[in-house]
Amino acid sequence: MNILEVNHLTKKFGGLTATSDITMNIEKNSITAVIGPNGAGKTTFFNMITAVYKPTSGDILLNGKSLVGLKPHQVSQFGITRTFQNIRLFNDMTVLENVLVGMHQNLKSHWVGTLLQLPHIRRIEENAKIEAYDILKYVGLDKYTNENAGNLAYGAQRRLEIGRAIAAKPKILLLDEPAAGMNPKETDRLTQLIYDLRTKLDVTIILIEHDMKLVMKISDFIYVLDHGELIASGKPEEIRSNKRVIEAYLGKGAVAND
Amino acid sequence: MLAHIIQNLPQVLIDGLTLGVVYAVVAIGYTMVYGILELINFAHGDVFMTGSFIGATVLFLFMGMGFLTALPALIVFLIVIIIAGIATGLLGVGIERVAYRPLRRKNAPKLIALITSIGISFVLEDSVRFIAELKTGNYIVTAPSIFNHRFTLSAHDWFPFFNNATFQGSFILVLAVTVVMLVSLDLFVNKTKWGMAMRAVAQDRDTASLMTINVNRVISVTFFIGSALGGATGVLFMIQYGTIDPYIGFILGIKAFTAAVLGGIGNIRGAMFGGVMLGLLEMFAAANLSIITHGAMGAEYKDVFAFIILILVLIFKPEGLFGKAVVEKV
Amino acid sequence: MTSLGALFNKIAESKRNQIILFIAYVLVTGLGLILLPDSTVAFLLLLFSILILYYIDFNLKAKWITGLVILAVIVPFISSFSGSYQTYMEVGTLVGIYCAMALGLNIVVGFAGLLDLGFIAFFAVGAYSYAIFASGQAAKFMPFGHYPLPGGTFWIFILIGAFVAALFGIILGVPVLRVRGDYLAIVTLGFGEIIRILLNNMDHPINITNGSMGIASITPPNFFGISIGSSSQFYYIALCIFLVVIYIVRKLENSKLGRAWKAVRDNEIAAQAMGIPLVKTKLAAFAIGASFSGMMGVVFAAKQMFVDATSFTYLESTIVLVMVILGGMGSVPGVILGAAVVIILRTQVLTNISNWLSSLSATYGIPIPPALSPEKMQLLIFGLLLIIFALYRTQGLIPHKNRKVDVARLERESAELAHKASSGGADS
Repeated sequence: MNILEVNHLTKKFGGLTATSDITMNIEKNSITAVIGPNGAGKTTFFNMITAVYKPTSGDILLNGKSLVGLKPHQVSQFGITRTFQNIRLFNDMTVLENVLVGMHQNLKSHWVGTLLQLPHIRRIEENAKIEAYDILKYVGLDKYTNENAGNLAYGAQRRLEIGRAIAAKPKILLLDEPAAGMNPKETDRLTQLIYDLRTKLDVTIILIEHDMKLVMKISDFIYVLDHGELIASGKPEEIRSNKRVIEAYLGKGAVAND
Repeated sequence: MLAHIIQNLPQVLIDGLTLGVVYAVVAIGYTMVYGILELINFAHGDVFMTGSFIGATVLFLFMGMGFLTALPALIVFLIVIIIAGIATGLLGVGIERVAYRPLRRKNAPKLIALITSIGISFVLEDSVRFIAELKTGNYIVTAPSIFNHRFTLSAHDWFPFFNNATFQGSFILVLAVTVVMLVSLDLFVNKTKWGMAMRAVAQDRDTASLMTINVNRVISVTFFIGSALGGATGVLFMIQYGTIDPYIGFILGIKAFTAAVLGGIGNIRGAMFGGVMLGLLEMFAAANLSIITHGAMGAEYKDVFAFIILILVLIFKPEGLFGKAVVEKV
Repeated sequence: MTSLGALFNKIAESKRNQIILFIAYVLVTGLGLILLPDSTVAFLLLLFSILILYYIDFNLKAKWITGLVILAVIVPFISSFSGSYQTYMEVGTLVGIYCAMALGLNIVVGFAGLLDLGFIAFFAVGAYSYAIFASGQAAKFMPFGHYPLPGGTFWIFILIGAFVAALFGIILGVPVLRVRGDYLAIVTLGFGEIIRILLNNMDHPINITNGSMGIASITPPNFFGISIGSSSQFYYIALCIFLVVIYIVRKLENSKLGRAWKAVRDNEIAAQAMGIPLVKTKLAAFAIGASFSGMMGVVFAAKQMFVDATSFTYLESTIVLVMVILGGMGSVPGVILGAAVVIILRTQVLTNISNWLSSLSATYGIPIPPALSPEKMQLLIFGLLLIIFALYRTQGLIPHKNRKVDVARLERESAELAHKASSGGADS
C-alpha cells in the first residue's frame, strides 16, 4: 500500500526549474532513499512535501489526500515531519525542551489551563516530560537533558533533530542528509536507529543521503534525481548497475569510492 | 469638491515633488544598507538630521566671515553641501565600524543590530540637541535664508481650471541637486567597479568575498555614500524649509524607509520612485484630506496616511513595486 | 583586598550568615531611610535588598515570602516615617507599572523574538479606556449611560483595559505578523505613532479623546467606599497586578505556549515543521504582552487623573525596550531589575544629579548650561545603554537561564511507568 504518492511535481524559481515532473510512490513502512548529485533538487523536493515551498504544478497525496496548499504546520499535523540538512535546532532551548516542542501538536494542554494549574494539565505536562526523556534515552542523549541544544556536538545535534522529529509521532519521517558530517561509528549508530524507527515505531522513512554505503545497505527502494529530473528508480542492486546513475555521478567521484 | 482638488493640483505637485525628492535620496540610504546587510539602519534618518545641522553650522560660520555677501550664493551652497556630505559620510562609516561591524563578526541575531541602530539614533539626536542648545540656547535652529526668492507658476494662465502655484528659488535647487545625485549614484552603482562590487556583496556576501572582494571595505563605501547623500539632503531640507530641530530625522526617516519599501527594498531606482510617489501622495493627502472627508480629518493625519501605506505595502506586496520576491533558503 | 574578599566568601558560604547579613542589611538601610534627612539613597538601597534576596542561597518559597514581606510591609512602613513618603511610594508605583509592562514586552521580544517598537500604544489604549469612561468625556459621544462612571468600576476596568489592549494587539497582529521579522519593527513603530496621532486628533468630528487637551478629572478608584487617591494606596494596586503578572509569565514561560514562542524565536522554519502555527503563536504573544500593558494603563490613568497623548511617545516605547535589553531578553528577574533601574534612573538619579549640579553652580558660581542637565540627557543615556548592552552584554544584567528539570526524578518516573506498562500488559 502506498502511503505517499507524488504526481508530476514541478517547482520553478523564476526561470530556473528546480525539480521537474517527479513522480514517486512510497510504500508504507518502507525506507526510501532519494539520491543525486548536489543541486539535483532533493531538498527542494522535501521542501515541497513539507509545504515550505508551494509546487508550481503537480500533486502530493498522503493516503489519498492532497497536501498541496496546506501550511507547513498543517502538514506536520497530518503526520509528516522532517530533519534539516543544515541543522535547525532551537539552540537557546534545552535538549529536553527541543523534544517537547516536537511533541507540541500532540499535547493537549492549553495555556489557560496551565495558568489555572488544573490538575489534569499538570499531569499532561509531567507525562510529556517523561516521554520526552524516554525519547532522549532512545536517541542516546539523556545525559544532555538540561544542556542547551546549541552546545551539543555535531553528531549529537543530528540525533536530537531525529529525536525531535519522532516526538511528533509522524507517519512519515523525512531525513535530510542525516549522516552528513558523522564519523563511521556514528553512522553505524544512525543506521541502527533508522532500522529501529521503522520496526518499533512503524514509521515510513524517506531519506536524502550522500553516503552510498548507508543508502545501499538501508533502503528498500531508491529514487535518483539529477538536474531536477527523476533519472532512475529501483531496488539498491538495480540502481548500483544503472548506467544513467553512474553517468550522473561520474566526475563527482561518488561511485568510485564505493 | 473635485474642482477644488484640481485647482490646487499645481501647488500640490510642486510641494509633493520637493518633499518627494528628499524622501527619495534618504530612502536610497536605507535601501543600500538593507540591500547589503539586511539591516534597517534606524540611525539613517538621524544622519540626515545631522547633515542639516552641519550644513547650518557651516552656513553660519560663512555668514560670520562675510562669505555670504562676498561670494555668489550658489558657490556657498556647493561648499556647504560638500562639507556636510563628506562629514556625514564619515559619520556613517564610523557608525558602521562602531555599531554594526562587531555584531557582524559575532554573527549576532538581526534583532541585536536593530537595537544598536536605535541606540545610535538616540545618541545622535541628543548629541546634536546638546551641541545646538549649548551654542545657541535653543535646539530649534533657523537657518540663514538663501534662495528664498518666491516665484509664481502661472498655471492659471495656461489652464484656467488650475490655480497659480508659488515656489521658492530653493525648490529648483533641491530638484536640480537631487537629480544630479540620483543620476550620478545610478551611474556609480551600475557602471563602476565599486558599484559592481557593491551589487555582488548585496547578492551573496560569502561568494563575493571568495572573489577577492574586500567585503568590509565595500560595506564601508556603501555606508559612506548612503550617509553622504542623506547628509547632503539634510542641507537641502534646511535650505528649503528653513527651520530644523534634532528630531526631524525620526519621522522623515520612517517615511523614507516607507518609500524604500514601496519601491522594493534593495532596489535603488525603486527607492527613488517610491520617494517621489510618497511625497506626492502625502502632499495630496495634506491638501485634500479635509476636503474629501468633509473636515473630519485634516492635514494632521498625513503621517497616519504614510504609515498606512507602509503597512499595506508590507502586507500585500512586501517585495515592493519593483523588487523581486525573496525566497528564504531552507 | 583579596583577604577581604576571601573573608566575605567565607561568611557568605554559610546559610545562616547569609540570612543574618541580609537582615542586617535591611535593618541598616531601613534605619537610614528613617533617620537621614535626604534618604533617597537609603530608599534605593532598601529596594536593592530584593536583588540581594534573589541571589541568596534560600529555598524558593522562603524567598518569595521574604520578598513579599519586604515589598508589601517593610518598604511602605519604613518609608512612612520619612518626609518624602508619597514620593517614594510614587516611585514604587511607577516601578510596579513599568515592571509589568516590561514583562509584557519581554514576552514579545524576549520569548517570541519579535521586535515591537510601538508597545506603549497598548498602555495608551488601556489608559484611555479608563480615562474616557471614568470622566465626563464619555458623555460627549455615548448615546446612553451616565458618566463619569463611579470609582468602583476601576477594578472591572483593569480587566477591560487588559482585554481592549489584547484586542488591539490582535488587530495589529493579524495583518502585521505575516511580514518578515525585521519589517515588524518599523511597522509596529508606525502603529504606535498612528495610535498617538489618533488620540491627539480624535476630538473631531466626534469628540472621543478630547484631542490634544487630554482628559482631566478622572474619577479615582473606589475600594469598598474608600477613595484611592494617594501614591501609597496605588502602590498596593500596582504591586498586586505586578505579582499576578509575574505569576502568569512564570507559568507561561514553561508551558506549551511558552515553548512554542521560544521555538519560533530560535527557528521559525523548524518550529513550523514541528506543527507550530506561526501566526497564531505570535498573535498570542502580542495579545498577552499587550494585555499587561493595558492593565497598567488603567492604573496609570487613575493615578495621574489626567491623560494626554504626550505620555505615549516613541521614546516611551523605546524606554520599555531598554528595560528588557538592559535586564536581559527572556529573563524574568532580569527584566524586573531592568525596569527598576531605568525608572529609578529616570525619576530619582537623573533629577537628583541635575538638582545637585544646579545647586553646585549656584553656590560656587560655576556656570553649568541648562543643556547639560542630565535630566535632559535621557535619549543619550538610554541610547548609550542600548548600544553598550547590545554590543557587549547581549544577555543583559541577569542572563536568561532555561529551567532545568530534575533528571533523576524523570529517570525514576520513567522507570515506574515502564514497569507499570509491562506489568499492566501481563495482567490483561
